[in-house]
Amino acid sequence: RADSNRTFNWKMTNAYAPGSPFYVQGPGSPTDFCERVASMSGGRLKIQHFAAGELIPALEGFDAVSSGLVEMNAANAFFWSGRVPAAQYFTAVPFGMNTQGMNAWIYNGGGLALWEELYEPFGLVPMPMGNTGTQMTGWFRQPLESVDDLNGLQMRIPGLAGRVYSELGVSVRLLPGGEIFPALERGVIDAAEFVGPYQDRRMGLHNAAKNYYTTGWHEPTNVTELIINKGAWDGLPEDLQAIVRNAAQACNNESLAWSDAVNADALEDLVSNEGVIARPLPPEIIARLYEVTNDTLSSMAAADPATQRIHDHFMAFRAKYASWAAVGERGFMNLGDGRA
Amino acid sequence: MMSVVHGIERIVEAVGWVARWCVLLLVLLVAFNVLGRNFLGFSSVAFQEFEWHLLSPIALIGMAYTLKHRADVRVDFLYEKFRPRVRAGIDLFSAIATCAVGGFIAWVAFPYVMQSYRIGEGSPDPGGLSYRYLLKSLLVIGFGLFALQGVADTLRALCALAAKDGGEQTP
Amino acid sequence: MSPNELLPIIMVAGFFTMMMIGVPVAISLAVSGFVAGFIGFGPMLFSLLPSRMYGVVSNYTLLAIPLFTFMGVMLEKSRIAVDMLDTIGKAMRGLNGGMGLAIVLVGVLLGASTGIVGATVVTIGLLTLPVLLRRGYKTSIACGTICASGTLGQIIPPSLVLILLADILGESVGSIFAAAFIPSMALASIYAIFILLLGWLRPDWMPAIPLEERSQTSRLQLGKDILSSVLPPLLLVVAVLGSIIAGIAAPTEAASMGALGSLVIAIVSRRLSWQVLKQTLHGTLSISAMIFLILLCSQPFSLAFRGLGGEALVHDLFMMLPGGELGAILFLMAVLFVLGFFLEWIEISYIALPMFLPVFLGYGTDMVWLAILVALNLQMSFLTPPFGWSLFFLKGVAPPGVKTSDIYLGALPFVVLQMLAVALVFFFPALATWLPEAIGW
Ligand code: NA
Ligand code: NA
Repeated sequence: RADSNRTFNWKMTNAYAPGSPFYVQGPGSPTDFCERVASMSGGRLKIQHFAAGELIPALEGFDAVSSGLVEMNAANAFFWSGRVPAAQYFTAVPFGMNTQGMNAWIYNGGGLALWEELYEPFGLVPMPMGNTGTQMTGWFRQPLESVDDLNGLQMRIPGLAGRVYSELGVSVRLLPGGEIFPALERGVIDAAEFVGPYQDRRMGLHNAAKNYYTTGWHEPTNVTELIINKGAWDGLPEDLQAIVRNAAQACNNESLAWSDAVNADALEDLVSNEGVIARPLPPEIIARLYEVTNDTLSSMAAADPATQRIHDHFMAFRAKYASWAAVGERGFMNLGDGRA
Repeated sequence: MMSVVHGIERIVEAVGWVARWCVLLLVLLVAFNVLGRNFLGFSSVAFQEFEWHLLSPIALIGMAYTLKHRADVRVDFLYEKFRPRVRAGIDLFSAIATCAVGGFIAWVAFPYVMQSYRIGEGSPDPGGLSYRYLLKSLLVIGFGLFALQGVADTLRALCALAAKDGGEQTP
Repeated sequence: MSPNELLPIIMVAGFFTMMMIGVPVAISLAVSGFVAGFIGFGPMLFSLLPSRMYGVVSNYTLLAIPLFTFMGVMLEKSRIAVDMLDTIGKAMRGLNGGMGLAIVLVGVLLGASTGIVGATVVTIGLLTLPVLLRRGYKTSIACGTICASGTLGQIIPPSLVLILLADILGESVGSIFAAAFIPSMALASIYAIFILLLGWLRPDWMPAIPLEERSQTSRLQLGKDILSSVLPPLLLVVAVLGSIIAGIAAPTEAASMGALGSLVIAIVSRRLSWQVLKQTLHGTLSISAMIFLILLCSQPFSLAFRGLGGEALVHDLFMMLPGGELGAILFLMAVLFVLGFFLEWIEISYIALPMFLPVFLGYGTDMVWLAILVALNLQMSFLTPPFGWSLFFLKGVAPPGVKTSDIYLGALPFVVLQMLAVALVFFFPALATWLPEAIGW
C-alpha cells in the first residue's frame, strides 16, 4: 500500500486538567492511549496530548474536532448535551446500566452504531476509551432520612441528575471545580457530587462533609469518550484504524481495572481513618428518585426524535440485560457477603 | 477626516452605553442570586448562568470603549522622552496593529459563531440558557468594534503626523 | 538551533521591544504572537483562538474582576475612600508609614476573599494611590506598596493559584489552603516590618500627617470620623469575607456583597448622585475591560509560544541540569521566575509544572511544600518588572502623573522581600507543612 510508510502527527485535546489521574494520566488514561498507539504503530501514528487549557479550554473539544482543528478529543459525551441532547446516553443514564451492561450495549448491543449515527452530522467518529466504574451519590453535610430532607438542599450537581434532584426541591448550584471544596466546607452548599472515593479523597471533600452516600444512582457507570475527526479517520490506513480501536478498547478495560483497585483502597481509608460515614441512600429516597428519573427521561426523549430513538433502544437492551444480570452478576453478589 | 473619527467614536460610545448598564445589572444579579437563595429560597440555573453571560459584553464591547477612553496600558518611560513625531509614529503603528488584530480575530471568530448557530448549541445543564451563538457572536462584534476604533486611531495618528509640529495640539 | 527553534525567543524579544517603546501592552502581546505564529505555523494555529477567548470571557471566576472594581470605583467616586484613608492617617498619630501599613492590612483582608490579582490591585490602587500622593508619599514607594499588597490575595487562601496548583500537583485543595496560611501571613508581616523600618529610616518618603493638621481634629472628632468614614468601608470587607465564612456565598460571588454594599453605603451616606453612578459604571467598564483586553491579547502570544515549541526549549534547559533534588527545586524556581517575566501564571503552571512533576515525584518531594514554594514564586512574577500583571493593572488606574518607571522602581524592594519569603519556606518547610498536618486536612 502506498501510504503504509506514511507517518501521521495528530493532536488530542482533553476536557480535564493537566495531571489528573485517570482523566489525563495513569493506566488506561488518554495519555496512556497515545503512548499505546505510538508503540503499536511503530511511531507511524504519533498523537500529541494537550490537557484542558493547554491548547483550548476544557469544553471546546467537540467543536475543535468537528471543524478539524485537532484530530481527537477525550471527554465525556454528556458534556455535549447542550449541542446533542442524546449524548447523555453514551456516558451514564441514571438508574440505567452498570459498566458491564453499558459495554455490552455499546460493543455488542447496537449502541456504538447509534452513537456513530448521532455524531455523523458533526463529522465525528466516537468510541469508548475509559470508564470510572460506579460513581458515588456524593457528600452531604447532614444525613438524609426522608425525601423531605432534600427540599431546599443546596447541591452542586451538574446535568441530568441536577434536573431530577430539582424536581424534589433541591436547589441546583453550578460551581467551578475549584470552588466545590471551600463552598462545601463553609456550608454555602449542603452537598456535592464529584466522582468516586479515590478522586473525591484527592479533592479533600471528606474534610468538608462526613456523610458519604455511596452507590451513585445517577451514574452507575461513566464512559470516557474518544472523538475523532471523520476526515482524519478516513485518511488513516486500515491497520492504524485497527490500532486506534484496539488501544481504545484496552484503555477502556485498564482504566476500569485501575479505578476499581484504587477506589477499594480509598473507601477503606476514608471510612477507617477519616471518620467518613459511607452508606447508600435510604430506600424511600431511592424509590422517589427512580420515579422522577423515569418521568424526566421520558419527557426529554419526547422532546427530541433522535433522543427518543436512542432512549427506546437503550431501555429495550436494559430490560434484556437486567434479567440476565439478575442471574449473572447480581445473582453471584447475592450469594452472600464478601463475595464480589 | 476627523468627522469620520468622531462618527466611529460615537458608535463605540453608544455600544459602550449598553456595556455600562451590564455592569450594574451584573452587580445586582449576583447579589440577588446570593441573597435570594439565602433569604427567599429562590434559586435558578438560568439566573446563575446569566451571571457569567454578562461578562462577555463587559469584556468584549468594553475593549473598544477602553481604547477610546485611552484607559489601556502602555509602558511610558521611553515613550515620553521621544520627539512628538516619533510618538506619533508609534501611535500610528499601534493603531494599524489594532485594526489588523481586531479584524483578524473577528474574522476567525465568525465560523466559530456559525458552528454554534448550526448546532443550535444551548446549555448542557437542564434549565440553563439557550442561544449560545448570540453570546459567542459578541466575539465578532467586540473585536469588530475594536478594529473600528483602531481605524479611528489610525486616522487620528495620520492627522498628527501630517501636522507640521507632529500633532502636539491634538488631544 | 534551527530558525524555527529561535522563533519563540525572537517572539519574546519582539514583544519586549514593542512594549518598551510604548506600544500598548495588549497590542505588543498580540502582534508578537501573531507574527511569530504566522511565520512558524501559518494561519491554521490561530483557528483555535476563538475557543480560547470564549474560555476567558465565560470563566466564572473572573466575575470577581468587574464586581470588585465596581466596589473600588464606587468608594472612590463617592469620596468615601479619601475620607477613610485621611482618618486612618490621623489615627496613626505621628507614625510614619502608617497609611502604608493600613494598605497592607486592606490587602490582606481583600486578598482573603479572592485571588484575582487584577481585581485587588485595581481596587486598592483606586482607593489609595491619589490619597498617598496628596499626602506626600514618594510615588515609587506608594506604588510598590499597593502592588505588593494587592498581590497578596494570590497566596492567601482561598485563591485561584492555589486551587490550580492543588489540581496540577494532585493534592487536595484543603491541604494546599492550609499550607499557604502561615507563609502568607509571614509574607504580609515581612511587608509590614519593611514599611515600619522605612518609615523610621526615611520619614520623608512616607510622612505621617503633620501635627498641626492632626491637632485641628479633636480626639472626640477623630472618634466620630472613624465611626463615619472608616467603619463603613471596613464593613464591606466584613461583608465579603463574612459571607464566605458564614456560608452565605461562595468565594467568587462573595465579591457581589462588596459591590452591593458599596452602593448601599453611598446611598445611605447620601453621596450617590446620578453623576456618581454614571462615573462609577464608566470607570468599572473601562478598568475591567482593560484587564480583559490584556488577558485576551495574551492568548495569541501563549498559543504561539506553545505551538512553536517554547515549552520544549524550557524542557531542554531542564535536561542539561546537574542532578539532585535541591538542584531541581532551585532550577524550577529560576525557571518560574524567568518565565514570570513574560507569561501569565496560568500558562506557567500549565507549561512548567506538568513538565517537571515526574522529576519531583521521583525524588519523593513533599508536594504540599513544593506547591507553596511555587505559589510564592508565581506571586513574585506578578511583581517583577518589566512584565508583571500587578504593575500593569496599577498603571491602568494610576493618576496621569505616575510613570511606569515609578511603579517598576517601587516594586523592586518588594520582589526582594518576596525572595526572602521563598527562602524562609525553603529552609523551614514546616512553615508550610505543619498546619495541614495539625488540623488533619
Ligand atoms: Na485569596
Ligand atoms: Na512578571
